[in-house]
Amino acid sequence: MAAAIPDLTYTPQSIPAPEPTEAQEEARVNYLNYDYTLMSWLLTVDHKRIGLLYLIFASIFFTMGAFAVSLVRLNLLSPTGAILELDQYNKAFTAHGTIMIFLFLIPVIPGVLGNFIVPMMIGAKDMAFPKLNLLSWYVWMAGAMFFLWQLAVGGLDTGWTFYPPYSSKYSHTNLTYAGLGIFITGFSSILTALNIIVTVHKMRCPGMTWGRLPLFVWAMYATSIIQILATPVLAVTVTLLAVEKTLGVGIFDPSLGGDPLLFQHMFWFYSHPAVYIMILPGMGVISEVITCFSRKNIFGYKAVAWSSVGIAVVGFLVWGHHMFLAGQGLYLSLVFSLITMLVAVPSAIKVFNWTATIYKGSISFEAPMIYALGFLFLFTIGGLTGLHLATAGTDIHLHDTYFVIAHFHFTMVGGMLMAWLAGLHYWWPKMTGRMYSDFWSRLAAVLAISGFFLTFIPQFIAGYNGMPRRYPNYNESYQLWNIMSTAGASIQGIGYTLPLFYLIASLFVGKRAGSNPWRATGLEWQTPSPPPMHNFDSIPIVYFAPYEYSIPNGLRALAASGMVLTESDHAAANGHAHGTHGTQGVPSGS
Amino acid sequence: MAASTTGPVAHHFDNLAQQQTTVRMGMWVFLVTEVLFFGGIMCAYTVYRIWFPRDFEAGSAALNVGIATVNTFLLLTSSLTITLGIRAAYAGNQKALKGWLLATIVLGSVFLGLKAREYHLDYQEGLMPTSKKVVVYEKDDEGQEHAIERSVFAINVERVLHEEKFDTAGVNTQRVQLFFIFYYAMTGLHVLHMVIGLGLLTWQLILAQRGFFQHTSRYVYIEVMSLYWHFVDLVWIFLLPLLYLAGSHTFEQAIHQFQHALGMH
Amino acid sequence: MSEPKETIFETDEHTVPSTASTMTTFAILLALTAVALTVGFSNVGPWKALVSLLVACTQAGVLAYFFMDLRQADKLTWLTVGAAIFWTGLLFLFTLTDYLTRHMAAI
Repeated sequence: MAAAIPDLTYTPQSIPAPEPTEAQEEARVNYLNYDYTLMSWLLTVDHKRIGLLYLIFASIFFTMGAFAVSLVRLNLLSPTGAILELDQYNKAFTAHGTIMIFLFLIPVIPGVLGNFIVPMMIGAKDMAFPKLNLLSWYVWMAGAMFFLWQLAVGGLDTGWTFYPPYSSKYSHTNLTYAGLGIFITGFSSILTALNIIVTVHKMRCPGMTWGRLPLFVWAMYATSIIQILATPVLAVTVTLLAVEKTLGVGIFDPSLGGDPLLFQHMFWFYSHPAVYIMILPGMGVISEVITCFSRKNIFGYKAVAWSSVGIAVVGFLVWGHHMFLAGQGLYLSLVFSLITMLVAVPSAIKVFNWTATIYKGSISFEAPMIYALGFLFLFTIGGLTGLHLATAGTDIHLHDTYFVIAHFHFTMVGGMLMAWLAGLHYWWPKMTGRMYSDFWSRLAAVLAISGFFLTFIPQFIAGYNGMPRRYPNYNESYQLWNIMSTAGASIQGIGYTLPLFYLIASLFVGKRAGSNPWRATGLEWQTPSPPPMHNFDSIPIVYFAPYEYSIPNGLRALAASGMVLTESDHAAANGHAHGTHGTQGVPSGS
Repeated sequence: MAASTTGPVAHHFDNLAQQQTTVRMGMWVFLVTEVLFFGGIMCAYTVYRIWFPRDFEAGSAALNVGIATVNTFLLLTSSLTITLGIRAAYAGNQKALKGWLLATIVLGSVFLGLKAREYHLDYQEGLMPTSKKVVVYEKDDEGQEHAIERSVFAINVERVLHEEKFDTAGVNTQRVQLFFIFYYAMTGLHVLHMVIGLGLLTWQLILAQRGFFQHTSRYVYIEVMSLYWHFVDLVWIFLLPLLYLAGSHTFEQAIHQFQHALGMH
Repeated sequence: MSEPKETIFETDEHTVPSTASTMTTFAILLALTAVALTVGFSNVGPWKALVSLLVACTQAGVLAYFFMDLRQADKLTWLTVGAAIFWTGLLFLFTLTDYLTRHMAAI
């Protein structure tokens, strides 16, 4: 029998599952309570549990990266260095950069939300390769542990970009093994991406066509394409650098006729697309949150979907903008400068479309929405300042100054981190079945965003006025900006620490969330929270595009015209065994 | 004979067809990463080959092309054997499947054995890139002896090239190290991929022994194994001309070198 | 409401190539290898590298089309292969542009 179709002011993509009663919820077996043993977690192939494993450790690594930068910012309170020696300072900012990029920004949304939510959004029971998914987590942990161990036993002082010849010839730090740690985490990145690509192609439920995919799935798909194509080049670059360090001579070594710039070409071929690996999943989250909390369909679905693909493709053609001052040929520098201008266009399209989505929507300011609005504001500033750097002429003055640091923190932290927090807060009720404190979550969001702004706006000013990056000492005239920046960082820190408390508290004292606390349209919300082991009690069938927030009772109208199928209608009409795919749209009873 | 259209299907798939196409796609997407991996190092190689053509030809001339030639035929034949193995699995012929898997493993192992011998000979000839230098005494134009530092590698490669009768005019023998770093890195990465491939083939052989492939629908796993193995062959197809055939060799030299490798000289 | 759309319907019509076809492919690859070695051991002059690579590409094409069964593969697989080659091409194109135009003034 068809599940009773409820009276709704919006139109979900498929028929919602019946809401369990309080008693049923106590007795219900879900993916969290079916087994509490440690082994059931360490040997799980359930994409939801693997997502939570990523969540725990990504949060731990974020804390480590934050600790490293707290040392940096405290040191920068004084122009002559307040608390660190010169060498320690190099190690502190390198630790901050490498941990944040490789152990947090790149893996967090694909590992947590990509794993947990993508299969649910497309109506699948799991990822295409569940065991590979678990392997991907173990590989990530191995690489991360190895890398952190190297940081602990001597650190890395080369900056996160570890350019030769400093890194291979002159630095006395454990580059080879640290590089091996990065290599291993890169492998994990590839495996996760492979899983997502194949899952999106092959595991969609009936009715889930490409044109009905939530934009988060489009974003994750584009991200995965980048990971597949770019990460191997980093792997081979790190390998060659390790060879150079081990042998004492290498292909980047000028004494042999080698070119250090070749390292930079190969490094940035990965590392520029890497920043799109970091931001695209965040952009996907923003599409989900903004539509839900404006109660409005996305403005320009196709534009936003294809702009993700556009960013993924064009993002591969701009890497030389990191090398304008390094000795790259002038002709190629101009080509890269021009294409970098072009890559801003798809991002701008997204920002315009999100803004148009909010316009005349019915907006509410829960924590996810505050983070999303913060994203819009901060990412736009980040993106615009990128144009200053894309212009080769102005980059001559701004390269390697705090302007660059402020630019990428606006996009990575003001953009990606805010988006991550938006996603975490949006899907927390789905993952845990609990609601968190409204007051504390909104306060944390406001503190994070305002603290962020205070931290990094002064850095634009300092950089514009010439303060170089990676310097432990600086001219006195920059001190005011540095003090403001450190003050802002403290406020940010409070903003990022609060979620630890209220989110964990929600697990114990939080109200039960129910299937769909946000009244959202996606498939993941049409099943109970926390989800059952196989996500859905029966295979969902998709009837509508995503984000039909403004259409009331669409499913009822469809059912009234006889177009809605139950599972058994479906199976009978197609003569397949229970659970197979078939053509959809056969009116029940025919 | 056709593979059965029914077979064991994992819990998260809806039907067998979905499972088969998914497994194939997974391997193809993985091979994309491998193309970019080897493509990256080949791009770096190309840059330097264009910059230093003479030095790279010289480096190539110092390699053992005899072993490389034999290895090429071994690897090609192993591609054949694994492809025949797919047909055996498809038809449900367990004995033939195990035979072809074993043949592939043997051919691959002989390849690795010869490669190890090749590396050993390179090591014996002193062709390892190094930053070490020695002081040698050379006479200048006026017959005066001067002490100068020369790279150990450069001295070794000059000796080898002299034996191979390669004209070293215009060759910066120190810079030939660049070529050799690529040689070791590219062939080394290829060896690593072969070792992994042999491990996977062995695992499949063990599975076959345990009757895993009795379900003929599972031929698809041999098929994806063959995709990986063919890729390894593909890389070698490019490594051969880029590394070994760049310099001038003669067929006689190749035979001579192979005999030397087998210890016949 | 628009017409309901087709759902995904997986079929797997793959058959395995015949033994005869496999052996023929092997023979072709052996022949191409012989060509590659002949070119490699010769001294055809400055075009040697290019000809060697063209032969290698032909070998690769035969191997991929027959042994790796691209002949039967669906469009998605071809797109995947195309993407790999195209992106490698991008890496080569842009990197080599630097090295070949460094000593030129812009445009």
